[in-house]
Amino acid sequence: MKDHKKIFILVESILAVMLIGLVIRMFWEKSGESRYKIAVIIQNSDSSQWASFKYGLKMAAEDQNIELSVVSTGGTFTLEEEQDLLEAEISNGADALIVQPVPGREAEEMLRKMEKKVPVMLAVCAASRETEDSTLPVTGPDNYAIGKSLAEELWKDYGGNIEGKFFGIIAGEDGSQALASRERGLREVLESRGAKIRWSVSGVHAEDWEQSLKSLSKVEVVVALDDRSLAAAGKSSAANDLHGALVYGIGNSTEAVYYLDTDRVQCLIVPDGFHMGYQSLTELAENLGRYFHQIQSQEVSYTVLRREDLFTEKNQELLFTMSQ
Amino acid sequence: MRNKYFRFLKKPELQGIQSMIMAVFSVISFSLLLILGFVMYGRFSASARQEIISGTQKLIEQAGENLEDYLVSMRRVSDSIYYNVIKENDFSRQSQDIQQGMNLLYAANRENLRSIAVYNEYGSLLAAEPVVLQKEDPNITKQGWYEKALEEMENMHFSTPHIQNLFDDGALRYYWVISLSRVVELTDNGVPRSGVLLVDMDYSGIERMMKQINESGNGQYFYLCDSNGQIIYHTRQIQISNGIGSENSGQAARYKDGVYDEYFEGERRKVIVNTISYTGWKLVGVIPYSAFTYGMFNLRYFFGIFMLFMAMMLAFVNRIVSVRISSPILKLNASVVGYEAGETPEIYIGGSREIRHLGYSIQTSYEQIDKLMKEIVREQNERRKSELDALQSQINPHFLYNTLDSIIWMVEDERNEEASFMISELARLFRISLSKGRTIITIKDELQHAKSYMNIQKIRYKNAFSMEFDIDPAILSCCTVKLILQPILENAINYGVAGLEDAGEIRITGRLEKGMVLLSVKDNGMGMTREAASLVLTESTRKQRHGSGVGLVNVDKRIRILFGKEYGLTVVSEPDEGTEVTIRIPAVAFTEENRKVLEKGNLPGRQGTEKVPEKGDLPGRQELGDEGS
Repeated sequence: MKDHKKIFILVESILAVMLIGLVIRMFWEKSGESRYKIAVIIQNSDSSQWASFKYGLKMAAEDQNIELSVVSTGGTFTLEEEQDLLEAEISNGADALIVQPVPGREAEEMLRKMEKKVPVMLAVCAASRETEDSTLPVTGPDNYAIGKSLAEELWKDYGGNIEGKFFGIIAGEDGSQALASRERGLREVLESRGAKIRWSVSGVHAEDWEQSLKSLSKVEVVVALDDRSLAAAGKSSAANDLHGALVYGIGNSTEAVYYLDTDRVQCLIVPDGFHMGYQSLTELAENLGRYFHQIQSQEVSYTVLRREDLFTEKNQELLFTMSQ
Repeated sequence: MRNKYFRFLKKPELQGIQSMIMAVFSVISFSLLLILGFVMYGRFSASARQEIISGTQKLIEQAGENLEDYLVSMRRVSDSIYYNVIKENDFSRQSQDIQQGMNLLYAANRENLRSIAVYNEYGSLLAAEPVVLQKEDPNITKQGWYEKALEEMENMHFSTPHIQNLFDDGALRYYWVISLSRVVELTDNGVPRSGVLLVDMDYSGIERMMKQINESGNGQYFYLCDSNGQIIYHTRQIQISNGIGSENSGQAARYKDGVYDEYFEGERRKVIVNTISYTGWKLVGVIPYSAFTYGMFNLRYFFGIFMLFMAMMLAFVNRIVSVRISSPILKLNASVVGYEAGETPEIYIGGSREIRHLGYSIQTSYEQIDKLMKEIVREQNERRKSELDALQSQINPHFLYNTLDSIIWMVEDERNEEASFMISELARLFRISLSKGRTIITIKDELQHAKSYMNIQKIRYKNAFSMEFDIDPAILSCCTVKLILQPILENAINYGVAGLEDAGEIRITGRLEKGMVLLSVKDNGMGMTREAASLVLTESTRKQRHGSGVGLVNVDKRIRILFGKEYGLTVVSEPDEGTEVTIRIPAVAFTEENRKVLEKGNLPGRQGTEKVPEKGDLPGRQELGDEGS
């Protein structure tokens, strides 16, 4: 009789525990449908050059059910400012970070410290100019290959003979590892084929470009290594302020495309911003969702655009992502 | 090895009634609960699924109507421009009116329109609204919308979304549009010519509509494709075109309106298709099966909680029912066990009518068993006592003294023959008395014993009475208890014929009647009243006289103990007439086996039974041979 009572109490207890567990789990799921949050910190985030990147981020966030927060930044920022932004985002509950790093070793160190708190993915390029020094994962194009490709396009346009031609190089104000790699790739090809780099200008504020370009000595080709400088060169070209120089460049904004469309830019190389955003966030989301998933660097492709094939079906999609 | 693994299959030990009831109730109730739960869950989930599908169908129909309205309004714009502006005016002479008419219509539909333009048959721009700079060499005649319009001149054509590559508005932007194009007849400088009217709809209008219906967040989504399956709007449009995602739009374009089951990319899903009239576009709603379960998580939890709660309740109720049913039985069992162990004197009587009846029956049975046991013990005691009495009667010192005295007297008187006869009769008497310690002997021996006794007594009483034996020879080989005639004869001599001067007569008869042996001793002595005769065999009247020791009561008791209560003595007496004492015993043939059975207190062939069957039925009974007395 006592055994029966014990078994009865045991069965009732097990059922009661299961019942309570189920009720708790139901309320837990009701109240805490929490999603991972990923914060994105990029310089001058409202610029049209990031449109496709942000669209890629948004699409990936929808696919991966991630809460996305793109920090609004009006312009470039210093290392300290970036650190403050990162810490603020972590304290606001960010589970992972996508960061366009401020160039330099200090930034690399700072980001490594951040990585110990939350997973970090770098966008576009590493912080340190020496790629091999970077241990942080990067989602971006092969900037060195982009530089080389641009030079190859130039070389083709000149019928395979650029010997003795004078070139000018302009780049944005950040002096990032991406720009350095692009310039290195470009220079290697051009100089190996006898072209002369007459000048190379970087670190100019956006509003000063017009005046700066006007003051530079005449060259046959101006090569812009980033979107902002390309837009400035396109604008100067439209205003006939480039002393008749042709413009080649790398960019990913509709402005850059517009100058290509209006024949102010001869050739445009567009890194795939959509994939950069999509893959960086997807990789982080997989890391957050799977404990043993190691974050890997992701390389994205780039497209060489010419005016004549600007409106092909494939390139229209590229324009679509830039127009978002 | 086999036993090792199948040991658990051995027949389990018998369980108690409570656990059996509990187990049976639990199995039945839990099975029913599970079946009920699954059926209910199935019904609920099916109806919820149907609800989602019909909800999506309604939504898709509504969205389709909105989309059709939107496209119809665009066609009306096109019609208005064509019939009210282009056909009514000459492009060379009334360009201002044309521009004004187009402007009015553009202004009225500004939210949905990107631009309106009219091109001649060479692809040259004739008029456009808003008025902006046309791009250098946009190559109009090679653009898809232009070619399509010329392919089927009688129709209006909706293109798939594309970048507008016509105008430069200086905004450094590119617009995503859907082109509605048609061939128009226009008049230029009085000459009728053909041209193409283009109405570029802003894609954002359709995008906005599609986004509105794509906000469920449970996994279901809607997309729009043309009749070839080319996607016009999809939430993952770029992913699909880049190969990150995929969509079965080619198949959906072939579907007619309705609901379809589909297995795509390893996922089962419901596809609801609605065709947008005129354009042939398909508005497709996709509900992955995971979307059904998305809304059912709460339902699952509810059912889980309901099932567990019901299981707890059922276990509780089963426990109460099993206890209520089994408790009286367990109490009854405990009282029986206690009774058997000698602990509880009473049997439990309680619970339902049947259990009470069972309790009463068991109690009565135990009482009867107890009573019978006591009776058996008493009978055994009496038997031992009567056996002792019989043993004691074998050596009657007074009888022996008188007999020996008579023999001495005969020897002294030189009546040697008589003395010799007396001694030989005495020796025979004692031989049969002893009978090797047996209780059961043949009637023949018993009669011999009676004869020897009577011969001795006759000599002692100097032939004061006569005796006669009338014995059916058939009974001689039947069994009898030894020394049952001698006490009766002793009584007959002492109380019957001893007082008579002469002509005392004792008649001993033996016969077989209805399977019984009847031995009777009849004297013609003083007799007694019927009342006195009826008291002879009762315990209270037992008196020992003349020191004979063993009375009729003892004989009667011994017969009853050995053969049963229906056997024994009967005494019939009349004053001055005499007394007849009859012995009734069963007719059982004397064999060694029957003797042993009888000596244990049982009747042969019917051990434990008291009734004697008819003649010829008894096992071991045999026809008795003719033997003289």
